[in-house]
Amino acid sequence: MNDYREDHELEEKPTPLLDIWYQWRWPAVFVALGVLAIFVTHSTIEGNWQKLFDSPRNVQTFFRESLWPPDWSVLEPQAYPVCEEPDFLQFTCSTAWIGVIETLKIAFVATIFGMLISYPIALLAAENLSPPSVSYPARAFLAAFRSLPSILWAILFVIMVGLGPMAGIMAMTLYTVGYLGKLQYEAIEGVAKPQLDASRAMGHGWFERSFGVILPESANNLISQAIFMFEYNFRHGTVIGIVGAGGIGYYINLYLEFLQYDKVFAYVIVIFIVVLILDLVSKIVRSMFKDDKQPNMPPWWTGLFLPAGLTKKLLKKKD
Amino acid sequence: MADDTSVIGHDLSVGYERNNELLANISFEFKAGEIIAINGASGIGKTTLLRTLAGLLNPLSGEVEIFGKSKGARGEIGYIPQRLGLIRHASVYHNVMLGAKAGHTSEWFPFSSKCKVLTIEAIESVGLSHKLRTPIRKLSGGQQRRVAVARTLAQKPRLILADEFLAELDEETLNAVMQKVLDYVRESNAIMVLVEHDFERATQMADRLFTAEDNKLVEIFPMEDEVNE
Repeated sequence: MNDYREDHELEEKPTPLLDIWYQWRWPAVFVALGVLAIFVTHSTIEGNWQKLFDSPRNVQTFFRESLWPPDWSVLEPQAYPVCEEPDFLQFTCSTAWIGVIETLKIAFVATIFGMLISYPIALLAAENLSPPSVSYPARAFLAAFRSLPSILWAILFVIMVGLGPMAGIMAMTLYTVGYLGKLQYEAIEGVAKPQLDASRAMGHGWFERSFGVILPESANNLISQAIFMFEYNFRHGTVIGIVGAGGIGYYINLYLEFLQYDKVFAYVIVIFIVVLILDLVSKIVRSMFKDDKQPNMPPWWTGLFLPAGLTKKLLKKKD
Repeated sequence: MADDTSVIGHDLSVGYERNNELLANISFEFKAGEIIAINGASGIGKTTLLRTLAGLLNPLSGEVEIFGKSKGARGEIGYIPQRLGLIRHASVYHNVMLGAKAGHTSEWFPFSSKCKVLTIEAIESVGLSHKLRTPIRKLSGGQQRRVAVARTLAQKPRLILADEFLAELDEETLNAVMQKVLDYVRESNAIMVLVEHDFERATQMADRLFTAEDNKLVEIFPMEDEVNE
């Protein structure tokens, strides 16, 4: 017993240098990484820091001369076809509305198809369900879909099926399979061991384990990821539209070519508002699937305008 | 010699690293209808032994025979891990149904009225009929243990491996659940191997009591004198 204590006392005896290292090791690592990043930037831009210092002035000029004020005519009905909606629904004939709705449709359909295709592949890719001989090829398969950005998929499908939303849906779906598949197999691998142990010991087969145990156990994560993916697909839908794969990106590209940046800016503001709304909706939907709902949460709408910390403080004051 | 009614360990070593066996060169034979309790200090290898019997870990050396085979067949082994292994987001019914399916349908035929009946019966037997559709995460620790027991009862396995399955239960529920499991083992002539820290409870439940110490499994109950008597 004494020997044991002596050994450990020797091991734990602090030296001043070791003490300083243990106290400061993490800040030191971050400082070192920061310095390294600055050096790499310096070599990449060949020491031309002047460009960086000039940039605020350039942005200011561009904003004042080309972007501001945004041209809200994008919310007015198109000249052709003639809009037959009542006055208060006239905006639904605008390019901004048509573009947003088309992008939302593309994102929705691509997310659903992508999710249905990616789940079986994710099951094969999960290391706690499949042997390495199956999981590694499945992972490589998903990585292949993910390695091409959605815009390149869009170009490919525009060549294959022509301009329009069909190319957008196909491009988005493939990208979703790669991206969501990765999130899914990580969620599956996160399923606690006892659940799988009990299932294995009972003698369940792969199919039962995948759909009877893994699916319900990771359902919250899967739903949350699918909602995130929908949001992501909407944001990217604006990008793939630029290459002709439908959606609001098509109009953005059109006005970029004519250098009408004030209209482009109006579209960007519309997209921003839709993203905010989607973020809010996804927050509400995801909260339905959360395990432990926190009581005394600030009302849902406060998240739109105020940081969460500030609203909590305000609520406390009110109490 | 293959015996299709017993669980046998021949010169068995269990653990996670080859040079660091938790239990080394142990041999045992658990016969049909027997309840075996294992106790011993934490980290000594009791759970590892159960996992090896469940077919979740390969023995480091030696052999395991589960009813004459090296691994239990589908539905033959009911396993209640220490953390229960219930699906937290699924209902009581779904969890118990998983046990029934393991024991009574083929992998490709998941719908069976027999499974339904067994599931309902098992849930009733642990007194949770009013919680049929409640997700596991909304149950108390004790209720979750009862669901795990119901899952095993619905499965009707020939070998039950239970890791401290009576923890967190109040006295009344504990006795009721214990009785259900004991009745099942007696009626179906199954084998039950349980890890139990409570020595008194272990002697009360088990026909044979082993203690794990110094890498060995020592049988301490029934004492030899008692056997001779």
